[in-house]
Amino acid sequence: MSTAIEVSHLRKEFRLKTAIKDISFSVEAGTVFSLLGVNGAGKTTTIRILTGLSRPTAGDAVILGHSISRELDLVKKISNLSPQETSVASNLTVRENLEFIAGIYGMNKAKTEENTNRMIALFSLEEVEKSKAKILSGGWQRKLSIAMALITEPKILYLDEPTLGLDVLARKELWNIIEKIKEQVTIVLTTHYMEEAERLSDRIAVMVSGEIQAVGTPEELKAQTGTDTLEDAFIKIAERGNVVCGH
Amino acid sequence: MRALIFSKRTWKEIMRDPLSYIFCLGFPVVMLFIMTAVNKNIPEEAGMHLFEIQSLAPGIAVFGLSFVMLFACIQVSKDRSTAFLLRLYVSPMKPSDFISGYTLPMLWTAFLQEIITFFVSIMIGFTADVSFQPIRLILCLAALIPAGLLFIGFGLLFGSLLSEKAAPGICSVVISVVCFLGGIWMDVDSLGGTLAKICHVLPFYHAVHAARIVLSGDFGDAGTSIFVLLLYSVLIFLLAAFVLREKIQKDLR
Repeated sequence: MSTAIEVSHLRKEFRLKTAIKDISFSVEAGTVFSLLGVNGAGKTTTIRILTGLSRPTAGDAVILGHSISRELDLVKKISNLSPQETSVASNLTVRENLEFIAGIYGMNKAKTEENTNRMIALFSLEEVEKSKAKILSGGWQRKLSIAMALITEPKILYLDEPTLGLDVLARKELWNIIEKIKEQVTIVLTTHYMEEAERLSDRIAVMVSGEIQAVGTPEELKAQTGTDTLEDAFIKIAERGNVVCGH
Repeated sequence: MRALIFSKRTWKEIMRDPLSYIFCLGFPVVMLFIMTAVNKNIPEEAGMHLFEIQSLAPGIAVFGLSFVMLFACIQVSKDRSTAFLLRLYVSPMKPSDFISGYTLPMLWTAFLQEIITFFVSIMIGFTADVSFQPIRLILCLAALIPAGLLFIGFGLLFGSLLSEKAAPGICSVVISVVCFLGGIWMDVDSLGGTLAKICHVLPFYHAVHAARIVLSGDFGDAGTSIFVLLLYSVLIFLLAAFVLREKIQKDLR
């Protein structure tokens, strides 16, 4: 299996805070890699740097052979993001939103139509495809948001807390979709939900106060901490991290 | 190409908002009818010609453009307040695509608005036995292009700098300034004093004045007004493009 993402000594400092402190990790192609952590752990900042939304203070990341520092334009063409907040054009219909993003990524008319139809089928958006995005429920909007990221055929897909605020049924439905698409694309996921991380992830990195405290499969993390559940493993790692970080 | 796709989306967002029809297209037309009715009640001996249709139409045309500023401002500040722009920031879109993508649909909206305003003015002119020469109408539309760019520039500037809640408030202040100091509702030239000087320094008077004298066919000092207006338009638009570009780049730091 080849390496899709190689993060080396990444650091991000803001005026009053260091959000990420020298983190390194790698993600294998065709897997789901989750960043797990409490609020302010640095998960979203990491995703922002990997997608080019924010520049690192130090360090670099190589995405399928392209450096985010030197070849960001190439990185942008092969990756896409579904942000934490639902990000859709509110007055456009579901179909128009998908077509709009396909056009922005330079797809021709035939390819745009083909991919739009594929996304509508994959995410079961048929019944709402002519509805304006602003009238959709949170669950539908989140599905559309992920479909808008996937329509560009990214090699790397970043899902920033994709099920945040969704009810249990909508969350389960999205998990099924993510399991379906993980065969086509390398996924980096951030989440607060242990059940979600355990069900979807091949490997998990636990972040505490801008540092990665542990990396491994869910089973490896449980074994490392001598716990039976991922939640207990996470709590142990997070508490250990907080002691080390002086919190 | 990306700029065109983005402008198409912005155009759809504007056209699907009912307020666009009310303020951008309906309100100037309503004002034309109201002020024409007011004009009918002004006695001949008052010597007040400001609300006669040939003078009123260019004024209302500039008044309408100030609402295009409001819509440009709302669209930019609304996009900035949602995560929608995040999605576009991670795409291969460049700052120039955003600037063109916001400007083109606003120019198109301004053009449509002017066509409707002058069409209704021609209809009102028929009832008052006033005719508009087609060539002067075309020249007047051309003279309004810098004014359109000026107001779109203001809209992009305020939309880039201010929040979704604050931006419309500032635009309302500018619209009031346009009305009073632009000479739409009062004869600025007869005022004299400091107020007249302020009016002449600002671009709004020149926008209204240039459109009025071009439509009248008396090109007199049209050159001066068009020059001042062009200067303001280029400066404000470049400033707006610079600020929007800086905002995008700041978001990406």
